[in-house]
Amino acid sequence: MRYLPAWGTWTDRRVERLLGALACTVLALIAAMVVFVFTKAWPSFAHNGLSWFGGGGNVDRQLAAIFDSPSNPQDYVYTLHAWPMLYATALLSGIAVICGLVFALLCAVFIVEFAPEPMRRVLEPAVRLLAAVPSVVYGLIGILVLVPLVGNHVVSESMKRSVAYVVQLDGTSLLVGAAVLTVMVTPIMIAIVVDALRAVPRGWTEGAAALGVNRWRAMWTISVRAARPAIVAAAVLATARALGEAIMLAMVAGSVGFAPNPLDGMLFFFEPARPLAATIVDNAEGLSVVPFGQTIYAFAAVLLVSSLFLSLAGWAAKRPLKRYGLAAR
Amino acid sequence: MPRLTTRLAVASAAALALGVPSVAAAKTTITMSGSTSVAPLVAKLAKSYVKTHRGVAFKLLQGGSDVGISDVAHDRVTIGNSSRDPKPTDPSGLVFNKIARDAVCLITNNANPVGNLSSAQIQGIFSGSVRGWGDVPNGKGGTIDLIGRTAASGTYDAFNKIFMGTSKISTTMSQKASNGLVQQSVKSDPNGIGYVSLAFTAGVHTASYNGVPCTLRNAKSGQYGGVRNFFMVTRGAATGATKKWINWVQKNPTAQQIVATDWVPLA
Repeated sequence: MRYLPAWGTWTDRRVERLLGALACTVLALIAAMVVFVFTKAWPSFAHNGLSWFGGGGNVDRQLAAIFDSPSNPQDYVYTLHAWPMLYATALLSGIAVICGLVFALLCAVFIVEFAPEPMRRVLEPAVRLLAAVPSVVYGLIGILVLVPLVGNHVVSESMKRSVAYVVQLDGTSLLVGAAVLTVMVTPIMIAIVVDALRAVPRGWTEGAAALGVNRWRAMWTISVRAARPAIVAAAVLATARALGEAIMLAMVAGSVGFAPNPLDGMLFFFEPARPLAATIVDNAEGLSVVPFGQTIYAFAAVLLVSSLFLSLAGWAAKRPLKRYGLAAR
Repeated sequence: MPRLTTRLAVASAAALALGVPSVAAAKTTITMSGSTSVAPLVAKLAKSYVKTHRGVAFKLLQGGSDVGISDVAHDRVTIGNSSRDPKPTDPSGLVFNKIARDAVCLITNNANPVGNLSSAQIQGIFSGSVRGWGDVPNGKGGTIDLIGRTAASGTYDAFNKIFMGTSKISTTMSQKASNGLVQQSVKSDPNGIGYVSLAFTAGVHTASYNGVPCTLRNAKSGQYGGVRNFFMVTRGAATGATKKWINWVQKNPTAQQIVATDWVPLA
């Protein structure tokens, strides 16, 4: 400790360089990770080309064939059509974020504008606590309570029989997966939107009130509108969490590489789905088989790129909104 | 505040240093990683081994059969534990030392106590051609829910080889990441059927296979057909302390007694 000067005597320039080096380390780490994942994943993409992203055949059969590849590197099997998993990822995160966003917005409006003080004091810490619950806890509740409930009481025997030769409806389903995922991502969104609504200058809403507008209308037309960039940010963060959610979905969304079919009507919601992140968790045991490991890295690469695009999309969506919004602050 | 954190950091570092037991220079450490089904057995064996062999210490990690095999091939551990047979894709130069055998049981929900399942029936059920419990003797009716392990697991490999013959496992099967999850799913699904290691059959009904109930006694006597092998995998033939340890596990009467508590000793 003697070799470092005391905290108080550090010059700005020295601090700047030190912190700059730290920030650069983070950038270098991210770059190294992206390069590593893509070099590992390349053979899988190279062998399949664009059909990697398409459908066709059964994805679990394809994964099993890759796992059982012959030992000669010339004969490695790579054929994979990952559409069911890409579709499941988009479907589950999409449903969860859209449902969650509506709920979070209404909830935040209530907390900021309408909740009585004692209730608000309980609600807000509770929301923040919920946001911090580890996902595996949600997974346990899902598999011990919700999955048996749906499988044994909601899905009827005739529904099961009608699709018995195509897919089994055992309770692990899109419905349970999306429901638990919604519960998981909503608290973050509530917390962010509450902070944003509260940051709207008091004068704006008071001005509206002075013109005879009621509180609900002032909230909806002024505060919520001004907070739009924050709402987009909340949705982006929630989508990121939903995309990367693995353990919970592996437990409750059904570990079958099946693409739920919207044409099945009600059954659609009871059909199983397995998103990319859950596939990685389920199959991590086989990483040592070279072509199988490369395929798993390909899943990781797709997740990395999609989270990158997500940040870009969020940034692009916020830019025009900021002109009217809280950037004035 | 900064001074306090520094002090805390120093204190915790010291605690860590003290917490790590000092290893005598003469001790050889045997590191192992791999199958989660083999790990409980190896832990018991190692505990007994260090009592009589003072010069040896063990470090046991888990991760799955393929992790163990990969680790030992890359020289990260001395022994990789595997619950599956050698595969053509395994790195060359590995030696699979058989140490015990383990029964794979077929389980159903307690509300659906099917009696006996023949090979043909199991192949029909798991290949997806039989989809109703009404078509299975003693079945309670309803649609069959198949619950199994992922293709990359040792238990899947064993089930596929021993029970399925030439038929392919149906793609409708729900693929779980561990024995415990299969057990839990069958426990809560009256229509479910799954396969797990004998150690995971509490709380569910175990069906007989080809007329033989899945019990430790039947597995030991050789009557029960659904038995797979446990291996300790080494890079090249084992030498020195590792060789002594594997020999002890395979031959010593004390070791055989430990194996016999929940697994099948080598004949």
